[in-house]
Amino acid sequence: MWLAILGLILGVSLGLLTDIRIPPEYANYLSIAVLASLDTLFGGIRAHLQQVYDDKVFVSGFFFNILLAAGLAFLGVHLGVDLYLAAIFAFGVRLFQNIAVIRRILLSKWAEKKEIRESV
Amino acid sequence: MKKKVISRFTMILFVIGLMTAIQYNTINEPDTRDTRDIWEIRQELSREKQLHSELLSEISALDETLAKYEKAKDDSPEQALKETVEELRETAGLTEITGPGLQIFIEPSAEAIVTGQNIEQVSPELLIRLINEINRFNDIELSIDGKRLINTSPIRDINGRTTVNGLPVGTPPFEIKVAAGTADNAEKLYNHLKASSILDSFYIDNLSVNVIQPQDEITVEAYDEELGINYLNAMEEE
Repeated sequence: MWLAILGLILGVSLGLLTDIRIPPEYANYLSIAVLASLDTLFGGIRAHLQQVYDDKVFVSGFFFNILLAAGLAFLGVHLGVDLYLAAIFAFGVRLFQNIAVIRRILLSKWAEKKEIRESV
Repeated sequence: MKKKVISRFTMILFVIGLMTAIQYNTINEPDTRDTRDIWEIRQELSREKQLHSELLSEISALDETLAKYEKAKDDSPEQALKETVEELRETAGLTEITGPGLQIFIEPSAEAIVTGQNIEQVSPELLIRLINEINRFNDIELSIDGKRLINTSPIRDINGRTTVNGLPVGTPPFEIKVAAGTADNAEKLYNHLKASSILDSFYIDNLSVNVIQPQDEITVEAYDEELGINYLNAMEEE
């Protein structure tokens, strides 16, 4: 788990230190991509906790979601319909659901542990 | 198996971190650069210098008042207070001002009279522009059609009539009296107005602005209404 957090820190510091910038027109797409990737991440954590984690689903979901979200936003811009809202809505709702499930699982695990300790 | 999962998560988190950082960089672009050249900076500096000197002269004036109070403390405190009140009334525009200044007549333009056009009132916007133009100079006291302009005087349209202090301004011709403090200042104001493009703006509305040569004695009327000081209260004595 610490290795994963190290990866996050490494990514953030690399991004901040190299000072990479994308043109402001594309900032919208990147923000949706970040949202999509967060959604995939929490989905992956949930799946892992529920013992249904699948490597292929996780990795392919990550890239596919990002591309789909950015593509939807792109299409929306060209059609004059704010389709990126659909992506934000879908990912936002899923994000909350996933986090809620993770919380429940962790809580029940914690309660179980406590019970076992008390019985001992 | 477990190792593989962790490496996947690490990879994904790395990408997420990178994307977030890039997004952060993009959103937080640095503030706009200072692109002023030397000349603009010099102008700014001169503005600040002017402000500085104005503040200094204000300080010295206040010091003078203070010294006067100190001196008058023993013999006649009322006199000093009365003088201050009189000064304040003058600043507020409650007294007549007589001094060097000039008259400005707003009249229908000759062309409009010849062609028999209706003479409209001066619009508030135009009048405000003219007043602003005059107020570029220091120590200006002025009245529009007999209505003294003070710091809180509104110039606005009320029911289709241009008003100053809530009183309607007559249709042209009418007179604007300006007291400029010193004859020198009046001369400068005269020259400035003569060359100003504001006269053309009046001409569009079929009006002409007739600026009369500076005179030594111009009397600007006092403000004769109640000053609305709803939000000023006397301090409680301790």
